Amino acid sequence: MTKTAPPIPDAAAEDTTGTEHGRARQLLGAMELDTRLLGMLAALLVIWIGFHIMSGGTVLTPRNLWNLSVQTSAVAIMATGMVLVIVSRNIDLSVGSMLAAVGMAMALLQAEILPDIIGFDHPATWIITLIAGIALGALLGAFQGAVIAYIGVPSFIVTLGGLLVWRGVAWAMASGRTIAPMDTTFQTLGGGSSGTIGGFWSWVVGIAAAAGIVFFLINQRRQRQKFGFHVRPQWADIALGVIGIGVVLGAIGYLNRYFLPERLARARAEADGIPWPPGGLDISLGLAVPVLLAIAVALVMTFVATRRRYGRYVFAIGGNPEAAELAGIKTRLTIVKTFALMGVLVAIAAAVQIARLNAAVSGLGQLTELYVIAAAVIGGTSLAGGIGTIAGAVLGALVMQSLQSGMVLVGVDAPLQDIVVGIVLVIAVAIDTFYRRRAT
Amino acid sequence: MKRVPKFLILLAAFAMVIAACGDDEGGGDGGSDDEIIVGVSWNNYNEERWAKSDEPAIQAALEAEGAQYISTDAGSSAEQQLADVEQLISQGADALIILAQDGTAILPAVQSALDQGIPVIAYDRLIEDPGAFYITFDNVEVGRMQARVILDLVPEGNYVFIKGNQADANADFLRGGQQEVLQAAIDAGDIVNVGESYTDNWDPAVAQTNMEQFLTQNNNDVDAVVASNDGMAGGVVAALAAQGLDGVVPVSGQDGDAAALNRVALGTQAVSVWKDARELGKAAGEAAVALARGTAMEDVEGSVVFESPGGNSMNSILLAPIPITQDNLDVVLDADWITEEALCQGVPSGSVSVCP
Amino acid sequence: MTVDAKPTPLVEMRDIRVAFGGLHAVDGVTVDLYPGEVVAVVGGNGAGKSTLIKTLSGAHRCDSGQIFVDGKPVTIDTPRDAKEFGIETIYQTLALAENIDAPGNMFLGRELRTRWGTIDDSAMEDAARKVMGRLNPKFENFKTAVMSLSGGQRQSVAIARAVHFDARIMIMDEPTAALGPAETEQVNDLIQQLKAEGIGIFLISHDIHDVFDLADRISVMAQGKLVGTVNKADVTKDQVLAMIIMGKLPDEVSETDLAHLHD
Repeated sequence: MTKTAPPIPDAAAEDTTGTEHGRARQLLGAMELDTRLLGMLAALLVIWIGFHIMSGGTVLTPRNLWNLSVQTSAVAIMATGMVLVIVSRNIDLSVGSMLAAVGMAMALLQAEILPDIIGFDHPATWIITLIAGIALGALLGAFQGAVIAYIGVPSFIVTLGGLLVWRGVAWAMASGRTIAPMDTTFQTLGGGSSGTIGGFWSWVVGIAAAAGIVFFLINQRRQRQKFGFHVRPQWADIALGVIGIGVVLGAIGYLNRYFLPERLARARAEADGIPWPPGGLDISLGLAVPVLLAIAVALVMTFVATRRRYGRYVFAIGGNPEAAELAGIKTRLTIVKTFALMGVLVAIAAAVQIARLNAAVSGLGQLTELYVIAAAVIGGTSLAGGIGTIAGAVLGALVMQSLQSGMVLVGVDAPLQDIVVGIVLVIAVAIDTFYRRRAT
Repeated sequence: MKRVPKFLILLAAFAMVIAACGDDEGGGDGGSDDEIIVGVSWNNYNEERWAKSDEPAIQAALEAEGAQYISTDAGSSAEQQLADVEQLISQGADALIILAQDGTAILPAVQSALDQGIPVIAYDRLIEDPGAFYITFDNVEVGRMQARVILDLVPEGNYVFIKGNQADANADFLRGGQQEVLQAAIDAGDIVNVGESYTDNWDPAVAQTNMEQFLTQNNNDVDAVVASNDGMAGGVVAALAAQGLDGVVPVSGQDGDAAALNRVALGTQAVSVWKDARELGKAAGEAAVALARGTAMEDVEGSVVFESPGGNSMNSILLAPIPITQDNLDVVLDADWITEEALCQGVPSGSVSVCP
Repeated sequence: MTVDAKPTPLVEMRDIRVAFGGLHAVDGVTVDLYPGEVVAVVGGNGAGKSTLIKTLSGAHRCDSGQIFVDGKPVTIDTPRDAKEFGIETIYQTLALAENIDAPGNMFLGRELRTRWGTIDDSAMEDAARKVMGRLNPKFENFKTAVMSLSGGQRQSVAIARAVHFDARIMIMDEPTAALGPAETEQVNDLIQQLKAEGIGIFLISHDIHDVFDLADRISVMAQGKLVGTVNKADVTKDQVLAMIIMGKLPDEVSETDLAHLHD
C-alpha cells in the first residue's frame, strides 16, 4: 500500500477513556478511513453551508451543485495528473498553455479542417477530434518529459518554457482568432443543455456505482481473509458500504432534482409531441458528460496510481529516487510516461473547456496551471514529492471552485476572490504541514 | 478589447528578423525637398492587427497626400523605441506617428522631436505630453454604444454586467460609458443591477462561470447582459444557451470578432461594437500630413480637446466606433472585414438580409 | 592467498578499474568469494571499497576488468542485471522509498501481480510476513511507511528484500553503522545464519573491529588498490590495521610498526 495518510491509530492503543470522543475515534479507526480526506470533506461542507447562509440559500440548491460539478470538471481532470507529476518530485507549469494549444488545435480540426474533408457536423467529427487532441497532448507531454528525464533540465524550467511556448503556439495557430462554433456532437463533452445523460441514466450510473462499492468491499475482504490478515470488523465493512451507497444515491437523487429550464423543456416536449401540462414538465438534466468524464478519469487514475506498477514506481521515485534506481526501476521512462499522461489529461480537459465554451480562444486556460497545482496541493499532495492522492486532488479542485463560485453568488468581486483563494491555499497547506509533523 | 497576446521569445525574435528584412522600404533616398516624410514607430509589428489593418491604411492615406512612409519596429522594447524615434528623425521625418510601447518611457523622444519642430501623433495609445496629438477610438463611447443598444431592447428589467480585467483601465472606461447611458433608468428603478463582476484576463471561460452563477442566483430572472467584449460575450451566450435563454436575453460586446458577428447574425448577440482600425490609420495619416504642413493642432479636422488621466489637455481625434447589429451587418461585409461564409454560418436563410 | 582446493568461486572480480575523471577510485583490484563465506572488504574512507562493490551491484560500471559468476564471465550494467545473477545488495543508505510500506519496499521493482496485472498487495504482505518471521519475528509494521520505522526495523526490511529473492551473493555495505548494540547483534546473528545457508557475503566496512569476528577472509584496500587478502585465522586485528593504515602486508610489518599503531 502506498502511504498517503498517517497510520490509523491502533484501536487498542486508543482505548483509553470510553468517552464520546474516544468512541467516535474508535469507530472511525475500525472503518480505516482516511482521516485527512474526511477533514477535507468537512471543510467543503463548512464552505458550502457558510456560503449557503450568506447567499440567502442558493449554494446548496440542486442547480448550483450541478453547476459546481460541471465547473470543477476540467481542473479536476488535470489535477489527477498533476498529483503524479508532483509526487514524482516534478512540477508542470505548462498545463494552462498546453490546454490552450491543444484546445485550439482541436477547434481548428473540427471547425475548419474536417468540414472540408468529411463535411460539416459529420458524426465522426467529435471522435476524430478527441483522439487527435489526446494524441497531441500525449506527444507534447512526452516531449517535455523526455527533456526533463533524459537531458536533465529541471521540470520547473522545461515547463516554464512550455508555458510560454504553448501559449504562443496557441496564438500562432489562428493568429489570435476565436474559433467557433464547435461540432454539435462534440459540444456534449462540455455539458451544456444537450451534454447531460438525463435522470434515468443517472440512476443507472448510481446503481452501477453502488454495485461497484459492494464488489470492492467484498473483494478487499476476501483478499485479506485469504492470507489470514487482519480484516475490518464486519459491521465496519457494512457501515462503509451503506454510507458509500447512501452518499452516491443521495447525490444522484439530489442532482436529479435540477430540471430542464422551462424554455428548453417546452422545446423538448414539442419535439417529442408531448402536450405541455399546466404545471409544467420536470425533466431531470441528470449528470453532465464532463462530470462523468472527470469521475471516470479519477477512477482510472486512482487505479493506475495504487494498483499498477507504474503508479508504484512514481511514488517510489518521489520517496527516494536513488532507491528506485537501485531497485532496477526505469526511472527516466517513468517520468516521461508521467508527463505524457499529464498531456493526455490536459487534452481531455481542453476538449471539455472548448466544448463548454463552444469556442476556442488563444487566451484559454490562463492561470489554470496555478489552479491545477493548487487543487493537488490543497488535496494533500506534498511538493516535496512522494505523497498525494487522486481523490484528494479532486476534492481540492471542488473546494477551490466552491469558494470561487460561492463568492460570485455572494457578490465578492474578482480581486477579492483571488485574495481569498490565495489565503485558503496557504492555510490548507499550513494545516496539512502541522498535522503531518504531529503525526510522525 | 483583445488582450495583447504574450509572445514567446522565439517568435518575437523570429518576427524581428522578418521585420528587419522587410525594413528596406524605409531606407532614405531622402525624397525631394518638398516631399513630406512621415515616420511611424510601431511598438510591436508582430501583432496581426497592425500589419493587416493599420499600416495599409496609413500608407494609403499618405500616398493620397503624396507623402512618403518610413517605419521602425521596437519589438515590444521601450528602450528600442527611443532609439527608433531618433532614427526616424535622422531619416528626415517631418511628422511622427508613435504607437507607444510605454506612454511614459517614450516621453524623452517625444520631447526631442517636438523641440525640433516635428509634430508627434500618439497613435491608439495615450502619450502623456500636451504637445502630442492623440488619435484613438473613444473607449467610453464604446461602453455607451453597448448600453444604448441593450437599453433600446430592454428598457426595464434585470441587468448583468460582465466587465473586463480589473487591472486594465479600459475595463473601467467601458463600464463608465455604460453607466452614463443607464444611469437615468437605474435611478428611476426601471433597471436593476442584479450582478456585476470583473473578469480575470478578459477570459471567456471565467465570464461563462460568472454568468452561470448570476443566472443561478437570480433563478434565471435576467433580462439583459452588458458584456464588455466579444470573447466574454461568447462565454455569456454559452451560459445562456445552457438555460435556453440564448437569443432571448440580449448580450453586448465589442471587437467585431468573426465568431461574435456570426452570433449577431444568428441573433444570440445583440451588438458588437466595431472599431475599424483602417479608420484610425486613415485619420492618423491625414493628420500627420496636415501637421507636417504646419496646420495648428487645434485646426486639424475633427480635433477636440481630451482631458487625459494625467491631467493634460490634449488635442485629439476621438473616432467613433460603429455598433454592429443585425440591421447593419452589411457594413462589415462591405469593408471586407469578414467573409459572408463566416458571417452567415448556420444562419437560417431569410432571417438576416445579408445572408442568402 | 586462497589455498583451499575449493571449486570455482561464486564471484570473482578480476583487475577491476574505475576512474572518476583523472582519479583512480579503483585501480586493478581482484577479489573473490566462495559459497558460505564472508569476505570483509575493509579500508579507510576513500579507499575505493564502496566503488568496487558498486560495480558488482550494478550501480556503477567498471572501466575495465572482468566479473565472473560461477566461473562464467558476465556483464553487469544495471542493478537489474546484478539481481538476475542472484546478487543482492544492502546499501549503507538502505535504499528504501520512505513513503512506501515494508512489503512495497521489499518487492520494489519486482512487484508480485495478480492475474489482472495489478499489484498484489496481499500476496506481497504475505511473503513479507514469512521472511520477517525468520529474520525479525517482532516486526509487525507491515502497513506503515518505512519512514516511521526504527533504524533496526528499516535494516530488517533491507535485509529481508535480499533474503526473499534467494540471493546467492549478498553485498552488505556498513550494515551495522547506524544500529545500536542489540540491533547489531541481531544483524550479526543473521549473517551467521545466511552463511550457514551457503550464501556468499561481501561485507564492507571502514572499521575492522566491526567485521573481524564475522569474516572468513579480509581484503584490505587503500587508495584504490588492493593491499592484500588474508585469512582471518592467520592474522591479528593489529596486523589488519597495519594493512589499512600503512598499506603493508603482515610479513612486511615490524614489531615497532605495530607498536606505533596505537600511538
